[in-house]
Amino acid sequence: MADIGYISLLLALGASLYSALAFVIGVRKRYPELVASARNSLLCVGGLVSLAALALVYALLTHDFQIESVAYYTSRDLPLIYTLSAFWAGNAGSLLFWAWLLSLFAAIVAMQNRGRNRELLPYAGSIMMATEAFFLILMIFLTNPFQKLLSTPAEGSGLNPLLENVGMIFHPPALLAGYVGLTVPFAFAMAALLSGRLGDDWMRSIRRWALLAWLLLGLGNLLGAQWAYVELGWGGYWSWDPVENAGLMPWLVATAFLHSAVIQRRRGMLKVWNMVLIMLAFNLSIFGTFLTRSGILSSVHTFSESAMGPFFLGFMGVVLLGSLILIYYHRQQLKSENELDSFVSRESAFLLNNLLLVGITFAILVGTIFPAISEAVRGVKIAVGTPFFNKVTGPVFLALILLMGICPLIGWRRARMNDLIRSFIYPLGTATIVGVVLFLGGIREWYALVAFSLCSFVISAILFDWFRGVRARHRVRSDNYLKAFLGLLWGNKPRYGGYIVHIAILLIATGVVGSSFYKMEKEVALAPGEAMTIKNYTLIYEGKTEKVTPSKLVTTATLSVFNGVEFIGTMTPEKYFHRSYQQPVTEVALRSTLLEDLYVVLGGWTADGTTTFKVLVNPLVSWIWMGGGFLFLGGLIAFWPDKRERR
Amino acid sequence: MIRRKRFLIGGIVILLAVAYLGYRGFEGSATYYLTVSEVKEQGGRIAGENVRVNGRVAPSSVDWDAENNILRFVLVDEEKGLSVLYKGIVPDAFKADSNVVVEGGLESDGVFHADAILTRCPSKYAPEE
Repeated sequence: MADIGYISLLLALGASLYSALAFVIGVRKRYPELVASARNSLLCVGGLVSLAALALVYALLTHDFQIESVAYYTSRDLPLIYTLSAFWAGNAGSLLFWAWLLSLFAAIVAMQNRGRNRELLPYAGSIMMATEAFFLILMIFLTNPFQKLLSTPAEGSGLNPLLENVGMIFHPPALLAGYVGLTVPFAFAMAALLSGRLGDDWMRSIRRWALLAWLLLGLGNLLGAQWAYVELGWGGYWSWDPVENAGLMPWLVATAFLHSAVIQRRRGMLKVWNMVLIMLAFNLSIFGTFLTRSGILSSVHTFSESAMGPFFLGFMGVVLLGSLILIYYHRQQLKSENELDSFVSRESAFLLNNLLLVGITFAILVGTIFPAISEAVRGVKIAVGTPFFNKVTGPVFLALILLMGICPLIGWRRARMNDLIRSFIYPLGTATIVGVVLFLGGIREWYALVAFSLCSFVISAILFDWFRGVRARHRVRSDNYLKAFLGLLWGNKPRYGGYIVHIAILLIATGVVGSSFYKMEKEVALAPGEAMTIKNYTLIYEGKTEKVTPSKLVTTATLSVFNGVEFIGTMTPEKYFHRSYQQPVTEVALRSTLLEDLYVVLGGWTADGTTTFKVLVNPLVSWIWMGGGFLFLGGLIAFWPDKRERR
Repeated sequence: MIRRKRFLIGGIVILLAVAYLGYRGFEGSATYYLTVSEVKEQGGRIAGENVRVNGRVAPSSVDWDAENNILRFVLVDEEKGLSVLYKGIVPDAFKADSNVVVEGGLESDGVFHADAILTRCPSKYAPEE
C-alpha cells in the first residue's frame, strides 16, 4: 500500500511538471489542445495525490507500523479521530496534506473556470502546478511520507498526548488549508502579469479564495491560541513563538489585501501594491510552512541544518524575484486610474490600514528571524522576547482599531466637515463616557483605558452606521425594522459580513487587553485542608486521588471553590503520566465566565502530601473565543455568493 | 504631484514610527542566545546580563524541591556543563535529557539563575526519542 502511495507521488510529479509546461506553451503558442491536455493533466494530479493521501489514511487505519509516519505518531489504542489526525502530525505527512489540498484547489479552480478566463487560467494553472511539483519533489527526495522502517515495530510510539485535544484536530488543517488557499490568488496575480490581462478579471476571480484563506488562517490561529491556553498550562494563549508568528504573518497580510482589494475595485488604485501584497502573503505562507515544519529556530544552530532549508529559501527567492521582475516589467499597465483626493477619505483610511498591517508584519518578521540575522551580521545570536513584540504591535493594533471606527463614518473620495462632525458625535460621546466610567471605576492603566474607549468608539460607529442603513431601508421599503435589518445584511453580504468581523476583532481586542493587563497569578504549596485566596475567590485543597487507565496514570487534585463565602463548585486539575510518552501532561482546571477565568494548574507534590498549585484569574478571556465565533460568522456571510458580484 | 509627495511622506512617517517602536521594544528585551560552552567561556563578561541558554538537561542531574518549588539541574552541550537554579512551577516539557532553553543570568557563584524555562510549541514534527 505504501508503494502505491509513493508511486502515485512519482506519477503526480510527472503529471504536474507536464501540466505546468504544457499550460504555458499551449497558451503562448496558441495550441488549445495543449492547454486542454494540460488541464486534464492537472485533474490527474488531483486524482493521483488523492490516491496517495488515501494510501496514507489506509496505512494509519490498519496500523501499518512498518511505515515511519504511522509508527512514530500513532498506536493501537489511539481513538480513531486522533489516528486520522496523525496524518498531518509529522513533517512528511503535513507536506502530503499541503500537496493534496493544493491539487484539490487547483482542480476546483480548473472546473470553476471552464469556459471563462481563457487567457488567465493556463498561466494560473501553471503556477499552481509548479508549486505542486515543488512539494512533490520535497516528498519524493527528502521526506517521504511512505518511508519504511527497517523492521516493523509491534506497537507505535503514539501521538504526543498534548495533541489529544479536540482543538488539535482542527488547528493544523485549518492553518495548512489557509496557507494553501493563498496559492490561488497568487497564481492568478502572476497569471494577470504574465498574460498582460491586468484588468479586474484576476481580482474578481480570486476574491473568495483570498477570503477563504484569510478565514481559515484566522480560525486556525485562534484554535491554536485556545489549545495553548487549555493544554500547555502556563496561563496564557500567545507567546510570540516563531511557530505562532509564522501563522499570524500571512493572516495580517491577507487582511491588508482584503482591504486594498476594495480600493482597487472601486477606484482602480493600488494595483502594484496589491500585486506585491499577494506575493508577500503567499511567500509568508511558504515561510510559515517551513518554519513550523523544520524547527530551525528552536535550536541555537543555523538555518542550514535542516536539509529542506535551501529548497524552501530557493523557492521563496524565485517567487520574490520573479514577481518583482514581472511587476516592474508591467508597471505602465499597473498605473493607478485615480489619485487620492484627500487625506480625509475612506481610501486614505484603508491605505493607512494597509501600511500599519504591513508594518506590524515586518516588525514581527524581523523579531522572529532576528537570531538568524544577528548571527549572520555579528556572529552572535540575539533573541528578542515577548516584550519586544508587545511593545511594537500593541500601539499599532490600537491605531488599527481606531481606523476600524473611522472608516464607516467617513465618506469616499473627500469627506466633508459637516458630515464628519455629525457622524462622529455619538461614537465619540460614547467613547468618552466609557473612558470616564472606567477611570472612575478604577482602571488606571492608560493603555487599557485607551483601548477600551477606542473599542466603544468603534462599536458605536459600526452600530451607528448600520442603524442608519436599516432606518433608510425601513423608510424606503416600509419594511419593519427586523426585515429591513435582514434585508440590508443579505443585500450586501461582503460589507455587513465585514462589520461583523470588525465586531469580532473588537471582542478579541477587549479580551486580550483585559487578560494582559489585569491578570492575577499566585503559586502556592498547600497541604490537604489548607486554603488560598486570590481576588474574591477562596480555594480549599481537599486532596489528591490517583486512577490507572490502560494508557496512563491520572493524578487528580480536588479543590473547593468559594466566591466570598458562597460555594460555587469544585475544580479538578490533573496530571497525566502516559505509558508511552515520557513527559507528564497537565490538564488545566478552568472555570470560565463572561467576566473572568479561574485557572488552576497542578504543579508537583512531595511525599507528605504538600502540593503546589498555580492559580490565575484571567479577566475577559472568554471574549476572545466569542470573538472567534463572530469571526467565523462574519467571514461566512462575507463569503456567501452575493448578487452584486458580476459573474 | 504635491498630493503624492504628501502621501509618501505620511507613509514614511508611519514606517518610522513603527521602526521607533521596534527600537524601543528591542532595547527592552533583546537577549543573547548562547550555548552552554559559550556561557562558560564568556563567564564574567556576561555576569548580570539577561541571556538565553540552549542545551540538554543532563540525565540524573535533576533535583526538584517540591516544597519550595526550587529546581536544580545541569545543562550540558557536547563540551561543557552549567548548573542551573529555577524557582517556580516546572513546565511539562521539561524532563531529563531533553532540549531546553532557559532565560536568566549567570550569578557570581557560577550558577545560572533562570527566570524562565522556555517551552515552545511542542516539537511534534520531530519525535522525541
